Formats: sequence, structure tokens, C-alpha cells
Amino acid sequence: MLESIGKALRIRGLSKTYFTRSGEAVEALCPVNMDIRAGEFVAVVGPSGCGKSTLLQILAGITEPSAGEAYADDTRIHGPSIDRSMVFQNYALFPWLSVRRNVEFGLEHKGVPKAERREIAERYLKMVGLSAFADKQTNELSGGMKQRVAIARAFAVDPSVILMDEPFGALDALSRRLLQRELLRIWQEHRKTVLFITHSVVEAIYLADRIVVMTARPGRIRSEIEVDLEHPRDNTSPQFAELERDIYAQLDEELTRSFGLDQDA
Amino acid sequence: MSSKPSSSTPPPSVAMGRRAAGVSGAVLRGGGKRLLPFVYAAVTIAVIWELVVVITKPDAAILPSPWQSAQTFAHLVANGELARDVYASLRRVLSAWAGAAVIGIPLGLVMGYSHRFEKIADPFIELLRPISPLAWIPLAILWFGIGEIGKVFVVFIGTFFPIVLTTVAGVKSIDPTLINAGRVYGCTSGISLFRKVILPASLPSIVVGLRISFGMGWAAIIAAELVAAQSGLGFLIANGMEILRADEVLVGMVVIGVLGVMFDSVFRYAHRRLVWTE
Repeated sequence: MLESIGKALRIRGLSKTYFTRSGEAVEALCPVNMDIRAGEFVAVVGPSGCGKSTLLQILAGITEPSAGEAYADDTRIHGPSIDRSMVFQNYALFPWLSVRRNVEFGLEHKGVPKAERREIAERYLKMVGLSAFADKQTNELSGGMKQRVAIARAFAVDPSVILMDEPFGALDALSRRLLQRELLRIWQEHRKTVLFITHSVVEAIYLADRIVVMTARPGRIRSEIEVDLEHPRDNTSPQFAELERDIYAQLDEELTRSFGLDQDA
Repeated sequence: MSSKPSSSTPPPSVAMGRRAAGVSGAVLRGGGKRLLPFVYAAVTIAVIWELVVVITKPDAAILPSPWQSAQTFAHLVANGELARDVYASLRRVLSAWAGAAVIGIPLGLVMGYSHRFEKIADPFIELLRPISPLAWIPLAILWFGIGEIGKVFVVFIGTFFPIVLTTVAGVKSIDPTLINAGRVYGCTSGISLFRKVILPASLPSIVVGLRISFGMGWAAIIAAELVAAQSGLGFLIANGMEILRADEVLVGMVVIGVLGVMFDSVFRYAHRRLVWTE
């Protein structure tokens, strides 16, 4: 398959239809095609309920698509794999484990020996600036710290793809800015393929190489925008502002359509 | 436990030893304060009891004074009879309760996780649960006679359902993203998911279930021993009634109560120390 060379994720005609209790079909995701290059940072923005989280869950292997297929490094995705780690909006740390053991969790299942596990966990905790908190319980941490632990957990298993589902959505504005910078630094250092879902247009422009704009439900890809700005990006620069205007205009159109407001005009 | 070493972590074995030392230490330290309400209630009961005896002057075979009962208690301790009965009751409760846990926790974990299995198993649980363990005593005697098995069976019935139901509730209350996180981070088989995520995540509920069921088992064993036994605290008080020794009956009752409170506080303590909180 020549077309797949250098592509970490290949998505072909992927769709998802849910059935409500009354048997009504809800189309969450229209057939989606997408390619993501190895080492690329792709952000997905779209109105609520556009199926962007569903897309991510299918790629993580925790939800089965209704049709279509997705490939990670040319292997068809079927079920979860430690090669595609995930960062969840509500952190999803294991509260019965210490910070260190949370970071080691995936390594244990990869069969990494204990001493090495510990060493790797230390390294990634250092990367997110939480070395001093290794032996704390997770309930002793703030939201921003919890998400840093979750990021360390995601990178520690050395995956080829990291899926991030609105990872900073539950954080206050300051922690959010800090974690965006941290994530960018870590990504530049490790060059993992990242698929990042967000509601924040500014966040998407600040972080991503490419932004995928989704339509309102049922979600399709509306447009893809390459962000050709040098890091660190200045959100007051004219180029940044223009991208922001452009994406907001598209999203506004989608929202107007989804609320049926355009019919009045 | 206010200062925790954060930078220099002792190896697990040392930490465990330290923790165990901390456990007994804290029981002794915190014990006094928590005991006070019980002392207050016990003294009040003894005073009222003494007043009733002084005013009504009953036959000692019907209602002895607290002092007479205390002497009987000392006597039963000295001749080893009380220890024998406590041991007999406790052994029955522990074996039945442990058996109920060994069967009930895995059953509850699977019922809580699989809707299909819950649909199959839940009707049986719901149908049998309202039948008091005491209602099983006659059948237990018919089936197993008055030996150990019958009494263990009755306690098993009394402890099994609360363990299953609290385990099911514990599994159902798990945040689904935790299960997803477990799967993403390598729990590919059902067994590893149960062992690494579902069991620890539902542990707080399970421990509550174990505590409640132990209390129920402790109540059930006394009833079972009242009807058919040659030993145990239930036997002690039933026998006391037959030989007109109300003092022995009262000693048995007090010991049942005091031990019940003690077991419960051990469970509460274990719950606080061993179980994670969100």
C-alpha cells in the first residue's frame, strides 16, 4: 500500500450510528476520511455533538465503528492497543494508585521489568515537573497536576499515536495556558503523532500543524487548515488572528445551521 | 499520619511494617475517644438495671443484679466456657462470611459488569433475598442436622446477599472512562481488567458490604445457635434460659453486643486506612 507510507493513522469511510433506547438511529459521525502523518499534530474542532469524541474513541479502539475502517501504521484498528495511548478530559487517573503507579500502569502491561518501569516513570514525571509528587495519591493533586500525570502516563508507554480528548477542557484558564505550553514542549521533544480534540479555536491554532473543522451533527469534515506559523505562536499576530477569524466563521455557520436559525433569514 | 516522606521512599516491605505499626498505634490513641459514648451508654444501662433490681426485688433466676452478673462473667471467663463459646460462634461466622465473600464478590463483579449476566442472575437474588436467614434455620436442621454445617449455612445465607448487592452497586458506580483508560493502557483481557481496574475501583463498596454482612452474620449465628447447638454464645443464652440462669443469659447478651461493636469498629478502621478516596 503505497499511499500509506509515512501515515500514522489512515481513516477510510469511518461512520458511527447510535441507537437510542426507543430504537431510533442517531447518526453521530458521517463517513470520514482522513490521513495523519507520523509525528504530525492534528487538532479537531467542531460544534458539540459533532462526533469528534466518537472519532477519537474509535481510533482508540474502545468504540466500534458502524462502517468504514481505520488503520494505525497499516494495521487495522480493532480494539485498544497500548501503541495508541489516550488522555481523557476528566483525567481518568486510577485513584487507588499513587502518581508513580499511575504512570507505570501501562508499562506494567507492556511487560517492562519493575526497575525499568520505575526509571521510566521518574523520567516522565520529571518531564511534566511532578517528580516531587511521585508518591502522592491522585486526590492530593489539583486538576492541572492530574492532567500532567495523565500526559506523563500517555507518553511513558512510548506509543506511536497519542489521542487527546479535550484534555484541557476542565481546567482554569491559567492552568490551561501552562499545559498548552508544556504539551508543545514535550511534543517537540518526542515528536509523537497527536490527535487533539478541542472546543477552543485558539488552542487549536496555538498547538496544531493542521486543524480539521467538523460540521454540526452528523459530523463530517468541513475543511482542513494547515497552520504554517513558527512555534511559539503569538496569538496577537495578524496571521494568527486571521486563522482564528476564518475558523470561527466556519463554526458560526455550522452552529447557525444546526440550530436552524438560517431558515428565518 | 501528618508528615509523609515524599522524596526518600522506603522499600515496600519497610513501608508495610511502618503502616502496620501505625495501625495498632492509632487504634490505641483514637480508641479512648471513640470508646467514650459506649462507656456512657453501658453505665446508664447498668444504673437503670440496678435501680430496677433494687426497687422490684426480682428472683435472681429471672433478673440478677449487674454485680451478680459481673461475677458470673468472671466465673465464665475463669472456667473457659465463655472463651469456648465465643470461639465457636466466631469460627462459624468467619467461615460462612469468608465463603460468602469468596463466592459473592466475583459473582457481584461479573453481575455489575455484564448486563446479560445480571439479567440471568438478578431474579434469583431478588427472589431469595427477602427470605430472612432465620427462616432457613428449620430447613438447615432438616438437611444438615444440628452439626456445624447447618449453622454455617444459615450465616452464609445472611452474609451472601449484602456482599453481592454492594459489589454490584460498586461496579455500577465506576466511572466508565476509568474502564476505558484501563483498556487503553493494556488491560486487554477481561481478567486483567477485573483485577487491575474493576476490583480496585469497586473496593470501597465491597468493604462496606463485608462490614454490613459481618454484622448480619453475627446476628444470624446467635439465632441459629439458639435453636440447635451445643456451643456458642447463642447456646450460652438459650441454655441459661432452660436452666433458669438469667445471669448467664445476660452475660451472653452483653458479650454479643460488645463483640459486635468491636468487629464493626475494626471494619471501620480498615475501611478508613485501606480504601482509597476520590
